[in-house]
Amino acid sequence: MTNSIRLNLTVNGEARSVEIDPRRLLVEVIREELELPGTHIGCLTGDCGACTVERDGQIIKSCLALAASAEGSEITTIEGLAENGELSTLQQAFWDEYGFQCGYCLPGMLFSAKDLLAQNASPSEDEIRHAINGNLCRCTGYDTIVKSIAEAAARTA
Amino acid sequence: MLASTELQEGRAIAATEAPAGGYVGARETKHNGDLFLTGRAAYFNDIVLPKMSHAAVLRSPHAHARIKSIDASAAEASAGVLATLTGAQIKEHTGPIPFFIDPAVFGGKTRDNFPLAVDKVLMTGQPVAAVVAETAADAEAALDLIKVDYDVLEPILEADDALKDGAPIINDGWDDNVVITLPFVEGDAEAALAEADHVIEDTFEMHRLSTQPIEPRGNMAVWEKDGSLTFYGSIQNPHPLRLHLSQALGVSESAIRVIAPFVGGGLGLKMHGHPEEALVCVLAKIVGRPVKWLEDRRETLLIGGIEQTHRFKVGFNNDGQIVAIHNRIVANVGMLGSAPGWGMAFLSALGFPSGYKVPVTDVSVQVVSTNKGIWNATRGYGKQGTNVVIERMVDLVARHLGMDRIEVRRKNMIEKDEFPYATNSGLNIDSGDYHAALDKLEELLDYEGLKREQAKLREEGRYLGIGITFELTPESADIPGTIVGGFDSAQVKMDPSGNVTILSGVTTPGSGNDTGLAQIVADEVGVTIDRISVIQGDTDTCPYGFGNYSGRSIVSGGNSAVLAARDIGEKIRGGAALLLEAGDEDIELIDNLARVAGAPDRAIPIAAVAETIYTLNFAIPGIPEPPLESTRVYKPDNIRHTPDEKGRIQPYPTYSYAMHGVVVEVDPETGAVDIKRIGIVHDCGTMINPLFIEGQMAGAMVMGLGNGMSEELKYDEKGTPLSTRFKAYLMPRAGDVPAVELVHQITPSPFTLLGTKGAGEAGVGGGMSVIANAVDDALAPLGVTIRELPVSPPNVLKAIDEAGSNGGRG
Repeated sequence: MTNSIRLNLTVNGEARSVEIDPRRLLVEVIREELELPGTHIGCLTGDCGACTVERDGQIIKSCLALAASAEGSEITTIEGLAENGELSTLQQAFWDEYGFQCGYCLPGMLFSAKDLLAQNASPSEDEIRHAINGNLCRCTGYDTIVKSIAEAAARTA
Repeated sequence: MLASTELQEGRAIAATEAPAGGYVGARETKHNGDLFLTGRAAYFNDIVLPKMSHAAVLRSPHAHARIKSIDASAAEASAGVLATLTGAQIKEHTGPIPFFIDPAVFGGKTRDNFPLAVDKVLMTGQPVAAVVAETAADAEAALDLIKVDYDVLEPILEADDALKDGAPIINDGWDDNVVITLPFVEGDAEAALAEADHVIEDTFEMHRLSTQPIEPRGNMAVWEKDGSLTFYGSIQNPHPLRLHLSQALGVSESAIRVIAPFVGGGLGLKMHGHPEEALVCVLAKIVGRPVKWLEDRRETLLIGGIEQTHRFKVGFNNDGQIVAIHNRIVANVGMLGSAPGWGMAFLSALGFPSGYKVPVTDVSVQVVSTNKGIWNATRGYGKQGTNVVIERMVDLVARHLGMDRIEVRRKNMIEKDEFPYATNSGLNIDSGDYHAALDKLEELLDYEGLKREQAKLREEGRYLGIGITFELTPESADIPGTIVGGFDSAQVKMDPSGNVTILSGVTTPGSGNDTGLAQIVADEVGVTIDRISVIQGDTDTCPYGFGNYSGRSIVSGGNSAVLAARDIGEKIRGGAALLLEAGDEDIELIDNLARVAGAPDRAIPIAAVAETIYTLNFAIPGIPEPPLESTRVYKPDNIRHTPDEKGRIQPYPTYSYAMHGVVVEVDPETGAVDIKRIGIVHDCGTMINPLFIEGQMAGAMVMGLGNGMSEELKYDEKGTPLSTRFKAYLMPRAGDVPAVELVHQITPSPFTLLGTKGAGEAGVGGGMSVIANAVDDALAPLGVTIRELPVSPPNVLKAIDEAGSNGGRG
């Protein structure tokens, strides 16, 4: 058994410190040690994007990072997107436009969309599709996801 | 509620009073969407039990081998390991896994599938041993320490090889490799083909594909102190699974509770019969703790479907009338597993001749077992086999005659005044207007304009293709003698606070039928949707039902909820009438109020009526009996299990349909296919929620396009899977497809209470057929005929090469 290490980081605005096996992936530690299971595992190879979270202002696929590499970083997960119990504009737009069916890809889609809108306040349909190309969805055919993101942009403008 | 102007068929919603609340037919959003949006919806892997341990499965690296011995002693002694189990020991703990649909029911061959291979492996990836450990990582690490001595046999991978005279027989005790041959014959095809003006003979191959929901499968079992078993799984059919676990494990069905939490996509993959279901139960018994097994994506990709070859002749006359179809289908179902996948081959043959009036058909399917992976159901359940091939036939006829493909379809499709229409294979298509749908598609796409654009681009050396296909989707099956059930149940309960709980026998793998149930019940009972909760996927709390498959959830589950809700509504009306001193028939239930029609000031909250029924039942003579609870079953009409004079049964109540059109541009240098437009006209009868129907259709279409364009489960010559990750199994991404342009046409089913037909599968077969026809059309100037799916770049280039080498004759 490998010796455990202590990981200190900020998660959804809260300082957290957990003992972890240094071999563990960031997504595993987020789900199990930090007890935030809203981030999902679909493939563990960085292809499906269901594990996408925000680290220090950048989105990453948390199955492609060792948890130990997140020492001192600020992580936001889907559990941290709502503000004061109110859904964000983006979350509400995904609800209103039926931007998810089974919901399994949803955490990743929300972060890819959030990242896009932070850089481009009024993206075109092509730009939206390009931004979520790293996130697989098997339910929606992507249309309603694209609409959700466009709607969030329109509501923010 | 649907305004009559939206009923493009001019037929009112059948057999039901208009619900007052206006939820049915509205674009209602998911009733519990906030759970998902905030990460609070619990999926299988989010369930953590005290003292939970983890299983990992050792899988055969060989496609065909005898197991000489297994030594798990080193694994047993490995760090964190609690137990190991091998095939040699498995029979001490469980019987064979019951078939979801046993081929023996139809006169075919069967086999005993145990959770671990007992003496012989028939596919790469078949489980041979299992480890339980404190962590999943410990369990996986210990797998490497298990020594298996195999006597490796020559694998048989292709169905044609398995059918050769003298081919080795892979299943012990069988006399050949054929599971079953199913013929569907109407008339004398040989004579009809001889008399036809023209006959085209050709082949079509559909390669092996897979469903791949983004959440993989997972199962967990815990034996409670009283000896009962609780099973958690990412599964579609809790009650039927309970029966099959009971049969395999020899445990009373009443001592088993099966729970399905939120499911991250089902798509057929999560129908049961997989080895790991009984396996976790056995392992949990051995270690005396909860055991969880979570599927890795490499394991999900072991499970395939659809792979089939059609060798067909189609006879037709100079006017475009198709007069006869002769088709021999060979389906490669790999190892015959207990999951329901093999039955898809049945459907691929049964569905001919789709929505076309072909007087003579001779279609049969040979279901062949090989050393490829097992099949499981894949959304569309084999109907895509019919759809792709018959739509290829129609285009071949059109091209041969120089007729427009739309005209050939118009000529051969069933007319709207011919429904219900009995097909050659005994199906009874309920209703529809195929010609009107085709007209709408032509208009949506500006078909004539597209043809002009295509001609112009061809002059510039560009290859624009237009694909047009019709798709028939028989839905909500009941197969006698199996756990494929056509009815379902719902319990509706109102508590003294006036809140309503729906307990349903159908499950939601993500499609949103739970919200649909809430909409239906809200209208019937007169409460707002926020007062309704929906419980599904728990055999201890929900009434008996069959779960999710075959587009059945609203047809069977929704209509049973209507009946149960009407019982509650009747009691509320009775109580309100007494309290408001009016007649029962004068009470309307809307907006949480019971009110006297035409007298808006004479109203009482529904909650007050409920409370009165529960608390003043002795005090008020004549008040309706508590509890405000009703459990009802709905059996749709049109199913017929008494065989007709030809021995045929009619297992489907409803037949949804769609007309598809896509526009592609193909690059003949690279073989790349660029989809420019997707147009669909869809009819699934009455819509409870158009937003959800549109979501289902767009999702199915894009899945079908992926199935048809890029997805393929490949194997090497030893039977080792090559498409083991999403880097090799290529599903469509957002940038691969344009928006879906969808038009609804509504022809309510005369055979279901609300007029609904199945929804959710239509689009998969359509996506596959329409991309085949579009690429074929694009490359017509090069003499190309598309004879296989997927139309991936290598296959497109191969088709171009073949056309070039035969002088452009296609």
